[in-house]
Amino acid sequence: MDWVAALVRLYPRDYRARHGAELTEAMRAVAARERAAGGSAVVTGVRLALDAVVSAWVLRTSRLASRASHPGPRISDFAPRTSRLAPRGDSIMQSLVQDLRYALRLLRRAPLFSALVVSTLALAIGANTAIFSVVNGVLLRALPYHDPDRLVVLYEGIGSINQPFGFSPADIGGFRDRARSYEAVAAFRSVEYELSGVDQPERISAARVSAGLMEVLGVSPALGRTFTAEEDTGRQLVAILSDGLWRRKFGGDPSVVGRAVVLDRRAYTIVGVMPPRFTFPNRGPRLNNVPADVYVPISFTQGELRAFGSMYNNSLVARLAPGVTPAQAATEADAITGRLVRELYPAELQGIPLQIRVAPLAEDVVGNIRRILFLLLAAVGVVLLIACADIACLMLTRAAAREREMAIRSALGAGRARVMRLILIETGVLALIGGALGLALAWWGQRVLIAAAPIPVPRAAEITFDVRVLAFTSIVATLAALICGLLPALESAGRESGTALKEAGRGASAGTRQRRILAGLVTAQFACAIVLLAAGGLLIKSFFRLMAIDPGLDAGSVISASTNLPSGSYRSGADVRRFYVELLERVRRLPGVTAAGAATDLPLSVRERRVFTVENPSEASRALGHTVANDWVMGSYFEAVGVRILRGRALSDADTLTSEPVVVVNETLAKQYWPGEDPVGRRIAWGLESNHQPWMRVVGVIGDIKQAGLAAPTEPETWQPWLQMPDQILGSTIVGVFRGMKLMVRAQVPPTTLVPAIRQEVRALDPALPMTGVQTLEEIVGASASSQRFNAALLGGFAGVALLLAAVGVGGVLAISVSRRTQEIGIRLALGADALSVIRMVTRHGMTLVAAGLAIGLPMAFAAARLLRALLFETAPYDAVAFAAAAAALIVVAFLACAVPAIRASRVSPVTALRID
Amino acid sequence: MGLPALPPHWFQILLALADHDRHGLGVMSDVLEQTGGRMKLWPGMLYRNLAKLADEGLVVEVDAPAGAETGGGRPRFYHLTPLGRRACASEAERLAGFVATARRKKLLKA
Repeated sequence: MDWVAALVRLYPRDYRARHGAELTEAMRAVAARERAAGGSAVVTGVRLALDAVVSAWVLRTSRLASRASHPGPRISDFAPRTSRLAPRGDSIMQSLVQDLRYALRLLRRAPLFSALVVSTLALAIGANTAIFSVVNGVLLRALPYHDPDRLVVLYEGIGSINQPFGFSPADIGGFRDRARSYEAVAAFRSVEYELSGVDQPERISAARVSAGLMEVLGVSPALGRTFTAEEDTGRQLVAILSDGLWRRKFGGDPSVVGRAVVLDRRAYTIVGVMPPRFTFPNRGPRLNNVPADVYVPISFTQGELRAFGSMYNNSLVARLAPGVTPAQAATEADAITGRLVRELYPAELQGIPLQIRVAPLAEDVVGNIRRILFLLLAAVGVVLLIACADIACLMLTRAAAREREMAIRSALGAGRARVMRLILIETGVLALIGGALGLALAWWGQRVLIAAAPIPVPRAAEITFDVRVLAFTSIVATLAALICGLLPALESAGRESGTALKEAGRGASAGTRQRRILAGLVTAQFACAIVLLAAGGLLIKSFFRLMAIDPGLDAGSVISASTNLPSGSYRSGADVRRFYVELLERVRRLPGVTAAGAATDLPLSVRERRVFTVENPSEASRALGHTVANDWVMGSYFEAVGVRILRGRALSDADTLTSEPVVVVNETLAKQYWPGEDPVGRRIAWGLESNHQPWMRVVGVIGDIKQAGLAAPTEPETWQPWLQMPDQILGSTIVGVFRGMKLMVRAQVPPTTLVPAIRQEVRALDPALPMTGVQTLEEIVGASASSQRFNAALLGGFAGVALLLAAVGVGGVLAISVSRRTQEIGIRLALGADALSVIRMVTRHGMTLVAAGLAIGLPMAFAAARLLRALLFETAPYDAVAFAAAAAALIVVAFLACAVPAIRASRVSPVTALRID
Repeated sequence: MGLPALPPHWFQILLALADHDRHGLGVMSDVLEQTGGRMKLWPGMLYRNLAKLADEGLVVEVDAPAGAETGGGRPRFYHLTPLGRRACASEAERLAGFVATARRKKLLKA
């Protein structure tokens, strides 16, 4: 039966006989007309359905009304009827309404049962909807750019390095000229600015972008225009605001174009405002991944455009030319890299193993989060299944209690379909209410999930409840209704009325079939629960392994705070140097401070990687990678963060512009490049062996710090004295690394108590300078494991809920079993069985089901564990400890769940039990 | 005293039947055309109102004229009764009065 015919069946029978053909023809004609006019088939279908429902209802109620005002008989009253309960002459509509009213009455009469089912479904459906809304917003929705599947990002890399860099400005022009695979290419880089001139100064995220960026993305500003090529090459002070900043700081003023915005104490002219929901750059990629509040031209200087072999910190986004695939673009990029080095690079840098990688933009944005999101979706799906199994058990036992009622209905002419429909309508109503509540819970839960996420979720602003999420909720609620109701419906419809009427009156034991169904449901619940428990156990173990990693620092009692000096007020390197030297001196003198230092990077993060060369290298070390993570430090940095000095000395403020250039290396670098030797006194330099910068002497070796993060392998690292950088570099605004320092202050007192005092010292030097990023070193170290912690907490939480639901299931089934075997238990007790044997009997029954669930579920858990490999740290997917712990937890909880009804059974009074009929 | 004002969709249905008999689909497309696409009569609503109009004596069902295209099924056409014609004309006069007033007040060009 097609949908049009189904709608026509809503009308009264006699009306259908007269007008059915016309109605059918008219509905089809309307659908075709709307389709031809470009209307949505879904909307047209909904409107036709509403029209049919309303018209059918009006017809019926007007007939009822006219019957009331004209109480005399009508011709249709004499139409034959076979059953009062299920008159064959009634249309679907009338009996549906009847069943609905009856179902609502039944549910009102059992408020506890209804509340239990509705709340269970609300929680389970809500969790599913919350996770799906995140999946929908992050993974399923296209990026908010024109034809986003045609956008790619490009990275450079040097030879053997696993992690790609950004693009060097020197390579961008050459690449653009040689590549044929792209319609347009644009560069961008995430920076921060001090925003002033609008109430409180604050630091905001910004992006330096090529003039053609918006053209590449295919998005136009909502107000004003994009940058011109002259503004980009001419380094003009122009800016485009994001919609958020425009509303927050400029009150959404439509005449904002032409006004000034003060960034780093310099006035930029606003030339445009981006539309709402435009986000760029996106969270997710490895670098240049902070959504910008304001955009300024990238304006590469001549120095940057000639900096071959360095400054790999820009990202490139490009639109593929028509017909070109990302794979083809990647092949072309491989071919171009050799040409770039040969044709553009200076002689001393020939042979540099440059690589260019191409990746689809969408993959770059969401690639890291895809796996965990789908894992969470699968987990909540399993929780819903277990919850539905619980409800199915409840509905089955409830249906069993209504055997007599169903038998009477059948005897009076209600067909099997009608009886099944009754049960399904009951579960449908419960699922509808549960789904609606679940939607509300999901709204709240989604906000909590995004806020609690350890790393900012990519595309978080696009996570909303749209038609797809509502459709998902509807489908899930419908499936839940079917899963909960189908078995009880089949059971109720399957009994012969004669048998049911005879048996229902005598209180005999439940049918074997029903026992088997209940047992099967409980077994399935435990099978699902062990899968989640094993996954949760693996992630929890992985998290603890990560937390056990020695970060190489002493994180206790250290506070960190950041400042960044705007070029508007600190024009020269000398100004920058003076500020930080004085600030550090002031902070050092604060009461309670034992050591104070500063660095260009926070501990456990790497911004800068450089190519270096070793003086008189050993043969073995020539084959190594020759790139190193590098940081600049000042003051008593190493003492402040608590690293171990293994050989030589730490850097100090005595290492200045006028003293020999020095460097400190980590243990890994020392062992790799000077195995078995003392590296103190040896020299390294930035650049290649054939062309390098001045030598720097190694003055110390420190213990390895997990500088790239707790989970990352330890790599060779170096530290240079910030004070040895020339003023020209300190004052540079190209990258501005040296203008932004992270203070690290170790104290004898609780470190957070020092924050007001440190802020006071910053204000004393510059009242308008914001201090940001205030956190303890413990928090910084903890943040490195935050993803693992989040994954473990969520999945562990779902596993716990699943186990609880399964325990409720087995406890409930045993309680039903005990209540039905009360006579049998009474007989046993009367014949001399002790309480312990009754407890054993009942518990054995329950634990048999649990064991069957384990037997089925463990292989499933092993198979599912492989999917977790990428998320685990130093934990194998088949970790015996994790699996054993999960199984043990399940057995213990199940045993306790079985014990309660078992103990109750042992307390049955034989006299009472034998009297029950 | 004239006939009471008609609901807009009744007026449009009667107007569609004013020049010759039509079946339901024909009425739907005529109403769509004569209102410039502003009034879409959905099937359930149309046939319900045709039934009410028939109850009021404003239209009657007739057999399809010979050779009429109906698109299949038993053809059922609708014919405007004299009462229906009077009601439609009365409504048209009433609306024309409003148009005249609007013209007099220079809301509409003459």
